[in-house]
Amino acid sequence: MSADVEHLTCQQFVEVLTDYLEGALEPGERAELERHLVICRGCSNYTEQMRSTIGLLSRLGDPPAAEPPSGALLAMFRAWQAERPA
Amino acid sequence: MPVPPLAITAGRRPDNEGERALVAALRRGDEAAFVELVAQHGASLLRLARTFVRDRAVAEEVVQETWLAVLDGIDRFEGRSSLKTWIFQILSNRAKTRAVRERRSAPFSSLAGADEDDEGAVDADRFRPESHRWGGHWAAAPADWSLLPEERLLGRETLAHAHAAIETLPPRQAEVLVLRDVEGWSPDEVCAALQISDGNQRILLHRARSKVRAALEVYFAQGATP
Repeated sequence: MSADVEHLTCQQFVEVLTDYLEGALEPGERAELERHLVICRGCSNYTEQMRSTIGLLSRLGDPPAAEPPSGALLAMFRAWQAERPA
Repeated sequence: MPVPPLAITAGRRPDNEGERALVAALRRGDEAAFVELVAQHGASLLRLARTFVRDRAVAEEVVQETWLAVLDGIDRFEGRSSLKTWIFQILSNRAKTRAVRERRSAPFSSLAGADEDDEGAVDADRFRPESHRWGGHWAAAPADWSLLPEERLLGRETLAHAHAAIETLPPRQAEVLVLRDVEGWSPDEVCAALQISDGNQRILLHRARSKVRAALEVYFAQGATP
């Protein structure tokens, strides 16, 4: 067991986590990272923290963008429209 | 006025036809098409602009300039990228130029890669030293956030802290993070809009996410109980 932990340190783990979450690791690296994840509570918590962070960030995008154009923007559009050749 | 849904053709963006119709309408000078486009992307454009120029009024100007560039360029739009990607590309370029002018973007104004610092995702002192038998492993394991009350984990104040953390990021990191995680874009879309490689996109995303996580960790640790 400890041999596996020694293979990949936690400090290395946190640097490849994004590649893992993005599906960008080679199968071998992925397997090694997953072995580490199973036996290391610190890295498992860290991964969940990262997932929570990503979830939280997605909430900053709510509510979905839907703003009508401002008066200035509409005026700009109409000026553009007026200059356009028919 | 929403673009009517269209039959999905395998291997193509389902909204391809709708987008073509929208572009055609804009070329005809159709105001409703413009209003629809602004409703779809206006808030997201402003959010992205603010990763470069934090002053809201200036960011709004950048967005307006972007819309004018979109209208002026619509006849030349060839549909090689999606309309959305194209619009955000224009915004990104304008916001960068503006940020340099406003001297708000020191890291960005140097060459690409300037904000690719070598800081680790986590402070090195959180790990046991090399000399230790467990060198490179956590000195103290990160907390289990699932034990936090939901209103603390997802509350308004926490969101405000996440937002504040984004504002401290170098612009290129902030830009990728906002598009990927806040706006929910795919990696391909982000690479196309920002004209960066997939690897670079991932590095910027990694640094940005790591910093936001670290900021939240500090915040949660400070007020252990609300």
